[in-house]
Amino acid sequence: MAQSLDKDTLARAAIGAPGPQRGTLGRRVRNTFTAYGFLGPAMGLVLFFFVIPGILLVVLSLTDLSSANFSDPWTFIGLDNFERLFADPFFPKILRNTVFYVFTTLIFFNLGLALVLALVTTNIPRRSGFFFRLIWLLPRLTPSVVYILMWKRIGQADPFGIYNQLFPEFLGASGGNLFLGGSPWTFVILTNGFVGASFGMIIFTSALESIPKDLITAAKVDGANVWRIIRDIKLPMIKWPLLFIATYQTLSLLTSFEYILLLTEGGPGLFTTEVWALTAYKRAFASYFGNSQWAFGATWAIVLVTVALLLAVIYVKLFKFNELIEEPRIENL
Amino acid sequence: MTTTEIEPQLQPAGPLHKTREKMGRRFAYGFLILSITPILIGYTWLVIATISTRTEGLLPRNAQGGIGGFTLRNWDFVTDSAIWNAMLNSLLIAVAMVIGVGIASTAGGYALSRMKFAGRKTFLSMTLVLHAFKAEMLLIAIFFVLRFLGDIPVIGNYIGFNTVGGVALVMIALELPLGIWLMKGFFDNLPWDMERAALIDGASRFRVWWQIMLPQVRPGLAALSLFTFIAGWNAYLVPFTFTVGTKVANMPVFLNQLISDTAPTNWNAVAAVGLFQMIPLLIFFIFTQELLLNIYAGGSKGT
Amino acid sequence: MRVEIENLSKSWDGVIGADNITIDIPDGDMVAFLGPSGCGKTTTLLMVAGIYKPTGGTISFDGRVVNEVAPKDRGIGMVFQSYALYPHMSVFGNISYPLRLQKLDKGDIKQKVQKVADMMGIGDLLDRKIAQLSGGQQQRVSLGRALVKEPQLLLFDEPLSNLDARLRLTMRGEIKRLQKDLGITSIYVTHDQIEAMTMADRIAVMSKGVLQAYDVPEALYDRPKTLFVAGFVGNPPMNFFDVEIMSTNGEFRARSEAIDLVIPRDRAEKAAAVKGKITMGLRPEDVTFADESSSAGAGLTLTGVAEVVEPLGREDLVGVSINGVEMRVLVDKTKGVRVGNNITLVVNTSKLQLFDPETEQSLLWA
Repeated sequence: MAQSLDKDTLARAAIGAPGPQRGTLGRRVRNTFTAYGFLGPAMGLVLFFFVIPGILLVVLSLTDLSSANFSDPWTFIGLDNFERLFADPFFPKILRNTVFYVFTTLIFFNLGLALVLALVTTNIPRRSGFFFRLIWLLPRLTPSVVYILMWKRIGQADPFGIYNQLFPEFLGASGGNLFLGGSPWTFVILTNGFVGASFGMIIFTSALESIPKDLITAAKVDGANVWRIIRDIKLPMIKWPLLFIATYQTLSLLTSFEYILLLTEGGPGLFTTEVWALTAYKRAFASYFGNSQWAFGATWAIVLVTVALLLAVIYVKLFKFNELIEEPRIENL
Repeated sequence: MTTTEIEPQLQPAGPLHKTREKMGRRFAYGFLILSITPILIGYTWLVIATISTRTEGLLPRNAQGGIGGFTLRNWDFVTDSAIWNAMLNSLLIAVAMVIGVGIASTAGGYALSRMKFAGRKTFLSMTLVLHAFKAEMLLIAIFFVLRFLGDIPVIGNYIGFNTVGGVALVMIALELPLGIWLMKGFFDNLPWDMERAALIDGASRFRVWWQIMLPQVRPGLAALSLFTFIAGWNAYLVPFTFTVGTKVANMPVFLNQLISDTAPTNWNAVAAVGLFQMIPLLIFFIFTQELLLNIYAGGSKGT
Repeated sequence: MRVEIENLSKSWDGVIGADNITIDIPDGDMVAFLGPSGCGKTTTLLMVAGIYKPTGGTISFDGRVVNEVAPKDRGIGMVFQSYALYPHMSVFGNISYPLRLQKLDKGDIKQKVQKVADMMGIGDLLDRKIAQLSGGQQQRVSLGRALVKEPQLLLFDEPLSNLDARLRLTMRGEIKRLQKDLGITSIYVTHDQIEAMTMADRIAVMSKGVLQAYDVPEALYDRPKTLFVAGFVGNPPMNFFDVEIMSTNGEFRARSEAIDLVIPRDRAEKAAAVKGKITMGLRPEDVTFADESSSAGAGLTLTGVAEVVEPLGREDLVGVSINGVEMRVLVDKTKGVRVGNNITLVVNTSKLQLFDPETEQSLLWA
């Protein structure tokens, strides 16, 4: 190697080509430069709307900034906000709500129903399967405000509510308002689940459809019935998509709150369906007594962001993501 | 030889097998129809509500409490200039997002997929993390970034807090990780030889991207644009958080103001506005089904 | 253009793609890089193309080191196994692309493209879309695109692998003729030894990133320098036996439990230095079928039982078990060998090869 490098240098010197330093280093810099040129727009946006806000959240959480004193210089108050957060009487309830919301929605809808839908729609004729998946995509495409409007109407009190009209005195129908009365959690989970399930459904469907047909045929010839084929062939073959959706949706559910905000605003009553992300948002923006507690909201947010980032790191490790990265098969410019 | 041995065994199993298959299929359809019922009911109500005075459950009621009372009064809002202003804002946000996300994702996705450079792995992991991680948690801090951007002379008037440009910028950034991830997936699937051929033919990397690779990922870009447009058109949380009043409100924000401002809510008028803002989405839904359902095909690879 | 590859190496994080390869290609020659998949032949080719960056060594074109020269400035044309045509462009669009990048005059481009297309026999297909072409036509477009810029070096990466057998034969001849007519130095990567043997002036045989041999085709066939070359070049492949060389009564014999052959003195003496077992190679065609009338001397025949008979058309490929050792031989099909027949074979011992089993180097051709 060393010898060949020497030759290289000699040859270059002989014909007056750029030396190895300028050549290789210069080229590497140029390669990186070109790549970053392509990445430029994305990097700028990531910097302004992810990196800087991330740092700002940390800084904010150490101040007492609110809409009442935002024109004053920022006052740093150390970890007071964090003490206040953990001492909050509703902290345990919000934590319990968050865990309950994330895992129930994940297991029953974003993962469970998504898998069932993918399995069932790939087991019926193609056109029909496509039709049902398409209908299932509809909630995801519907503006959140309109979507929640429909659910509100479904759960409203007599005589307006659709559920109360269709199933009087059945399965929790009380004639009263369901999402702000009888079963707010059911509605929170249903509204989120009906949107969340379609993502997993699409990923699982494409994974299931890419299982070689020969494999299924072979299993059938071996005498496996539908259930055995699902258990022994299909599920093991889509193990990675399953894990991917599980972790991905955990993160996604943990940090999203838009539908809850629109449906119950965390109510009815005190913090009944309030999850962590919603608390952070409400503290910062929904002005209690006309005062937006930006710093305190940022404190809730930064704790959640930290948890979410830790989960994300675990998720990258879990998928051995670095091993999946393919090296580009073009090296020179 | 072996087939003659198997056939007698299969023959008696035939009818039983058929009935079981039939039952299974019925069960499958039953389950699927049941599962989509809430969705269908929601939409049915939406359509009925827009053309009736009031509804009880799914039934339109007239003043006497009987079935009937159909009206087009709910659609009076189309003459209100506020809704056209909101629609224009929605359109501006959506189009800006399609352009912004399209450019940043196709360029960034290409670099991450096909180029060798220092920091590539870091970028890839970061994209994956950001992609999974909904950035709504950062809105509090983004509020301050927007206020800062708003203080920049001249352009600040277009991209700061309470501007359509500012909302669009934030929305572009939030959609970007998904966009880059998807486009990277589409680029990953392209053959290397085609790119090598273009380099040997004399194209620069930029030209390769623009003239050779981009035309190959057109379906992916179309799907991404579609989803980005829908995300922009439907955007609620970001415009709601970063706008004040009606001047820069987009359709969803306008609609939500309608729900909370009018007490008691005129549900039927609200439903009409809701259906109205869904018209472009329903058109996409009818004409671009394959694209919609294939969107994640590129991005799901390698995970 | 003369191409010199010197001590060229390529590795990725410790995985070696090409290891210290030195090949000198004279101007106007066609050289084949031959080897099984993963042997480093394409890696080396891509380094010559400027797509991969060498980790060590140099590539020179006419004495000028081009390691740092971008692919587009190397004056090369390349033809790919997958054709690598631009599907969104027409045939004309594809062939003219290199010229359009050079910003040539429109009329010039048209003229040049037409000329190359006519030469390739696709002059009337210029307006077609790529998807409307057959595999053979696509490969002609690909070749046209490579030739249109009048390159000084043509690179072929298994260009015929995706074509059916008949077309492969035709294209083989055409490429060879074209290359000779135009006199363009060419590198031709293939795993098909017949392609390499028929087309190339010289063949570089590679295995696991290492250059095994670089020589004219006949030399590789008759005088393989390594065990790998002997086994890889030639179809059906050479038979190998573990034998010991003994000298008795002035005669040299290659002996094992199964065989006992008298071998020529000139070959045996070169092997005498090695103590213990050596590897003897014998090509299937260097054995003739002995009938009763043949009078081959003792020690030049092997007897065994036919275990497999594969009709190849003109000949039968017979798997013979000689006291438990397998050997493949080519036999005239009129002999009508059947499974189970007892067979006597006369060995053309002047063609046999001897290798050191440790170093896998030939004992005959150092």
